Amino acid sequence: MVRGSVEFSVSGKYPERFINITSRHRVRLWHVHRSEDHFTACMYRSDYRKIRPLARGAGVRLRVIDKNGLPTMLFRYRERVGILIGLCAFVLSIFVMSLFVWSIDVTGLETLSRSQMNDVLREHGLYIGAFKPSLDVQKLSRDVMIERHEIGWMAVNLTGSYASVEIKEEATPPEVDDIYSPCNVKARSDGVIVRIEAAEGETVVMEGSGVIEGQLIVSGIRTDEQGTHRLVHADARVMARTTRQASFSMPEQMKLLRPNGEVAERRMLDILGLRLPYRVGSVDSPNTVSNADTEVPAPLGITLPIGVVTDHVSALSEEEFTLDDNSAKELLMREAQLYETFALQHCTIEARDFRLRHDKGVYTLHATYTCVEDIAYSDPIGTDENTDFTPYVAPTEKK
Amino acid sequence: MKEKQKESKRRSPFFSALNAPCLELSGNRELLIEGSKGVLEYATDSVRINTGGMIVNVSGRELNLRCISDSALIIDGFIMSLSFTV
Repeated sequence: MVRGSVEFSVSGKYPERFINITSRHRVRLWHVHRSEDHFTACMYRSDYRKIRPLARGAGVRLRVIDKNGLPTMLFRYRERVGILIGLCAFVLSIFVMSLFVWSIDVTGLETLSRSQMNDVLREHGLYIGAFKPSLDVQKLSRDVMIERHEIGWMAVNLTGSYASVEIKEEATPPEVDDIYSPCNVKARSDGVIVRIEAAEGETVVMEGSGVIEGQLIVSGIRTDEQGTHRLVHADARVMARTTRQASFSMPEQMKLLRPNGEVAERRMLDILGLRLPYRVGSVDSPNTVSNADTEVPAPLGITLPIGVVTDHVSALSEEEFTLDDNSAKELLMREAQLYETFALQHCTIEARDFRLRHDKGVYTLHATYTCVEDIAYSDPIGTDENTDFTPYVAPTEKK
Repeated sequence: MKEKQKESKRRSPFFSALNAPCLELSGNRELLIEGSKGVLEYATDSVRINTGGMIVNVSGRELNLRCISDSALIIDGFIMSLSFTV
C-alpha cells in the first residue's frame, strides 16, 4: 500500500524468460495469471521501473493495466492542493492534540474532595489542557505528597492524552492517651457535681457539692498509709449540672433577596478549555444566583475535551418586611436549635428557658439551658526541669 | 545474503547436502517449492520448474503462480499430477 504496486500484462514469445529475469533480480511477483497469449502479474512500483528495460531484452512486451497504492494516489491528487493541505492539517492536529492532557481521572479519594484534589493538581501543573512534555509526573507526585500530608501514596499515569491519578490516603494513627505524666483533674466550668467516676487519683470533692471553673476535683498526688506522697496521672469523668446561656438577636426590619421567577439560560461550548458562548441570556436584576451544569460526552468511559456548559441564572429581588413577635420567635428558635445541635452536642439538656425581648427595633431571644455534662479536664503537674517553681511576685507600680 | 542464510537455516542438513528442493503440498490445491532455479514452462494446465538437480512437472487445471521470489514460488489451482525429471 505504501510502496505502491503495478498490475501489468506480459505478452511475447517466451514469457517464462521474463519470470526468470525477475527472479534473478530479486523482484517479487504475485497474482500471476496465465491467459491464452499473455499473462498478468503484479509487482512493486519501484521494481517495475527497474525491470522494464530488462523486459525488452527478454523479448516480451509489458503493458500497465492498473496502478495502486499511496504514490499513485498522491500523484492522482497532485493538482488538488486543498486535499493535501487538509491531510497535512489533520495529521498535524492529531500530533499536536496528542501533546496535551485532555482527561484526568482521580481515584482513591476518601476524605479529600475531588475539587480540592483538582486544585492541588492544577497548582502543580496537571490540568485539562496541560502540555504533556513539560510534565514531570514523578516530581509532581513527590511534591503533592510532601505538600498534602493526607496523601500517603500517589501515582500519575499518562496514557496518551489521559491522565490517571491514583491516590492512597494516609491512615491517621489513633491518639494514645498519656497515662504516665502526673496531672490533676479540674473543672472546666462552674456547676454542681452529679457523679464522679474516678479511674485514678484522689477525689477531693464530694458529689452534690458545687465547683467553680478551675477548681481541683481529683488530685494527682496520692498519699498512702505511711504518709508517702506519690504522683499519679489522675483520670476521671466528672458529670456536673451546669447552666448555659445564649442570646440570639434579629432586627425587626429585614431585607431579603428572593427569586422573583425571572430566569435565563446561558450556554457555552467548552472546546479544549476554551469556552465559546452560543446562547446568551440576561435578567434585569443586579442580584442574581447562577447554577452551572457541565455535560461532557464520555464514549467508552473516556472523557472528551469537549462539553456543553449550561448556566441557569435566576434573578433575585430585594424585599423588605417587618417581623412580628411570632415570626421573630420562630426564626430565633431556629437559631437556638442550631446552637443546641452544634454547641451543646456533648451535653444532655435537662431544661430550657426562652425569653423573647423587643427593644429598639431588635428582637432578642435569651436562652438558658440546664445541662449535665462532663466538666473534667487534665491539668499537668509540673515536675520536669523546665517547670518554673519561683513564687509569683506581683509587679510594683512605679510612683 | 541474509535471505540465503535464513533459507539454509530453515532447510534441514539432509536436504541441503543433497541440494534438493523443498516441496510442500497442501492437498491438491497449493504447492510451495523452495529452491527453484527458474520457470521453464508456464501454462494454465502445466508448469515446469527447474530446481537445479531435477525438473518438477506440475499438471492440472487453472494453475496460477501466486507468488514468485528469487528462490521460492507458490503454485495454486487444481493439481492433478506431480512428476519429476531427473
